[in-house]
Amino acid sequence: MDLQNINFQQIRQLLLNKKISAKEIAQFYLDRAKNIDPKIKAFITITEKEALKQAEIIDEKIKNNQNLGRLAGLVMAVKDIYLTKGIETTASSQVLKGYIPQYSSTVYQKLIDEDVIVIGKTNTDPFAFGCSTENSGFFTTKNPWDLDRVPGGSSGGSAAAMSADLCHFALGTDTGGSIRQPSSLCGVSGLKTTYGRNSRFGITAMASSFDCPGVFAHTAADIALITEITAGKDEKDATSSNNEVPRYTELLDSVDLKGLKIGIPKEYFSGSINEEVKDKVMEAALEFEKRGATLVDISLPSTDLGIAVYYILVPSEISANMARYDGIRFGQSIENTPDITSYYMKTRGEFMEPEVKRRIIVGTYALSSGYYDAYYTKASKVRTIIKNEFLETLKNVDVILAPVSPTTAWKIGEKVNDPLQMYLADVFTVCINVAGLPSLALPCGFDKSNLPVGFQLIGNYFEESKILSIGHQYQKFTDYHNQKPKL
Amino acid sequence: MKVTPIIGLEVHVELKTKSKMFCSCDAEHFHIDPNTHTCPTCLGLPGALPVPNITACEWCIKLGLALGCTANNISFFERKNYFYPDLAKGYQLTQYEQPFVVNGKININDHEIRINRAHMEEDTGKSVHIIENGEELTLIDYNRCGVPLVEIVTEPDITSAQMAKDYLLKLQQIIRYLDISDADIEKGSMRCEPTINLKIEEDGQVFYTPLAEIKNVASLTGVQNAIDFELKRQLEEFKETKEVKNSKNKTTRGWDAAKNKTFLQREKEGSSDYRYFPEPDIPHIEFTNEQIEAIRSTISELPDQKIEKYKSVYGLSDYDAIQIAADKYFAQIYESVVTSESDNKNIKEFAKFVANLFLGAIKTYLNENEQGLDQSKINPQFFLDLFKSVQKSEISSTVAKQVIIESYQSAKNPIEIAKSKGLIQVSDTNEIERLAKEVIIANPKAVEDYKKNPMSVGFLVGQLMRISGGSANPQMAKEVLEKLLQ
Repeated sequence: MDLQNINFQQIRQLLLNKKISAKEIAQFYLDRAKNIDPKIKAFITITEKEALKQAEIIDEKIKNNQNLGRLAGLVMAVKDIYLTKGIETTASSQVLKGYIPQYSSTVYQKLIDEDVIVIGKTNTDPFAFGCSTENSGFFTTKNPWDLDRVPGGSSGGSAAAMSADLCHFALGTDTGGSIRQPSSLCGVSGLKTTYGRNSRFGITAMASSFDCPGVFAHTAADIALITEITAGKDEKDATSSNNEVPRYTELLDSVDLKGLKIGIPKEYFSGSINEEVKDKVMEAALEFEKRGATLVDISLPSTDLGIAVYYILVPSEISANMARYDGIRFGQSIENTPDITSYYMKTRGEFMEPEVKRRIIVGTYALSSGYYDAYYTKASKVRTIIKNEFLETLKNVDVILAPVSPTTAWKIGEKVNDPLQMYLADVFTVCINVAGLPSLALPCGFDKSNLPVGFQLIGNYFEESKILSIGHQYQKFTDYHNQKPKL
Repeated sequence: MKVTPIIGLEVHVELKTKSKMFCSCDAEHFHIDPNTHTCPTCLGLPGALPVPNITACEWCIKLGLALGCTANNISFFERKNYFYPDLAKGYQLTQYEQPFVVNGKININDHEIRINRAHMEEDTGKSVHIIENGEELTLIDYNRCGVPLVEIVTEPDITSAQMAKDYLLKLQQIIRYLDISDADIEKGSMRCEPTINLKIEEDGQVFYTPLAEIKNVASLTGVQNAIDFELKRQLEEFKETKEVKNSKNKTTRGWDAAKNKTFLQREKEGSSDYRYFPEPDIPHIEFTNEQIEAIRSTISELPDQKIEKYKSVYGLSDYDAIQIAADKYFAQIYESVVTSESDNKNIKEFAKFVANLFLGAIKTYLNENEQGLDQSKINPQFFLDLFKSVQKSEISSTVAKQVIIESYQSAKNPIEIAKSKGLIQVSDTNEIERLAKEVIIANPKAVEDYKKNPMSVGFLVGQLMRISGGSANPQMAKEVLEKLLQ
């Protein structure tokens, strides 16, 4: 049976009709991971034992005619910054290596409660600091479309696992583009939800006021199902929203493309953007126009400030969020130091990756007395300006369409010695995080080297249903999302 | 040379909420097995997030309002960054820019001590240093980590160790009246850190000595002694070195109660850089004016208001009013007795009568037996009955004191007790006349003496009291005897 090419509903039917067992599904994906993952290195941990146990529970439920969770039989890969009770969680950093959490993140637990099978924990840049997985404390994940190239990041392991069909969907987080950018580079779909839509509880914090958990899948429709389950108020996350969660799966055709006003921001189609990427994204826009949508030229003039604002506020929050990794209660540590200060310094010095240290240093500097107003306060003000610019623009258009990444996947090692170039890879994604808006990344073609290109649909706060519906309809008249890399 | 002490106090008060400040763990930590009241949030585990305890926030505002502060409509938490093993997250959640309440005051004997702010923060864990098999170990107990603390910061308006003590007592009293903390200095639920320096005027010049913040003061006497020591030390140091305050020479000193002296703990290079910034995990907290007023309405009568009422409405002396208001519970029981008198004409006399019994006989009894006042043993009706009997001269005030204690112990009516012990005064004229005649017949010599010296009537009164078994009203006995012997 060709398990990779059937949809969620078909899997459920096969399971319920006992044409296939959950154990067979789990085994299929475990075998696939064993065969394919050594080439891609998407996983830090493959959770064979847990996957088979969950499958067994599902099969038992089916046997006893018990109620099945909505995700029974689906296989999930999880970015290794989500805490998973009893399963090692490293955040791809040596400093957390060997850490077995006592509790699970809310989003993960909600999915487990729906009978999903967890196949493994995926590689990322350490604590999600990066956009290629090259900063990982363990190894670099490879792009399934070209094994010499990066998968993007930070959620590169999840995107690569998705692209290589090592799971049905994968969890990621998006702080500055970490779901959308690897989606785009790996040719899959990915949703960055509105800030506060998905709980952050139990996910190692990068920048608390930016972090957005979200999901990768092949289609907008699959994302709708998963997000319907994960979203909602969490009493354990004070920043999670009370807004009611719509039935995204029932709203997939709710938006009428006819008359839809799509904003095309000029700042996102200029500067460092690669011409091929620009053309593919414009093609996508024109597909909508063909179906009755109106393309509206818009301007978001503060876009070029996004990276600056982001790389002041994010490291500031990081510098505090990383303080708990002191080697005292969890993770690796250097023993037998003469005093507590050298214990901290040696532990953090030895086990934190260079990019982690770089961001702690930048953030500590930006928050220091004498510099705070010039950096943190000023960046916070510009953050408000960027946010208001989006809100004003979204009064005139229904949705904004833009490229995700200025380029397709680059060669591994190409940018590692130039952190600034690396930071600029997020130039089209960070502003959306600065504002906290939802954005859906979808594949829209390939460049001459057969590398995927993606675009994003940016909606107003809590308009996930709108962008999912537009994305779903786009995937009805295109089939880029069905293209698979040759492995 | 004129020397004026300049003292400011930072007081930390642990709130007695059920749960901790940012998680649902039990906030109790005194004599609890180490690390049993903990969870991912207060242990600072990866991914764990803080959710503010709204009751604690409201109590902080309540305290501020009771201290005359203004409550901010919008407040937020900030991260104060520093490394210490018992600080699980590597930062403490506190309030810096926008605390819940600001600008209050406490008056001590007509001297105003301004309160800069009262803000909400979280406590740290506890480091325990031990030696095991010759090895020095530090163990950490996170039970206290995340317990809600309110920090009350004064302006440097305090000018003596005594005033600091009075301030602390008054603050403690208000906190206990609000029932938001035990405010027990010995148990650590109220902690005080004085910051001290001196203003020295000499030869027309003014000097300020370097600031010293004093830590580890664990008792009220300690606060007083530490301040006194430090004032002397700074003066001597100034005479020797002439060093004056600047932005870089503030020091932190510890208090050694055993040696009765402060010692240098840390020399600061200016103020430490804690890199405060708004806590992104907790949205800003808004309290509307209506909500603030609703909190204000839950503040019951405070000690100063009670004292004023006792003086003006109950007619108590300043001293008695202060004594009764000292403890909220004691005052409440006292008032429940006083207000049982429905006759307003008598209110002052009755209030004074009850105050005398409460502060005299009852308090003495409680102190001797190391007990607190038990409301269930106080029956307002008994006090009323007793009051009326004393007014009618049926019971003497001495007897009243005696029987109220027996009544407190046995829950019996004090009048019945007096009766059963024959302590009711006979004020019946006929009966006293009968007794007086008997005494006159039985004591001819004393009668003769009286006729020579009317001052000697006391002997005959004594005889009358004796044959009445002590129950005759002595004043009436005297009057009747004098009348019969005329």
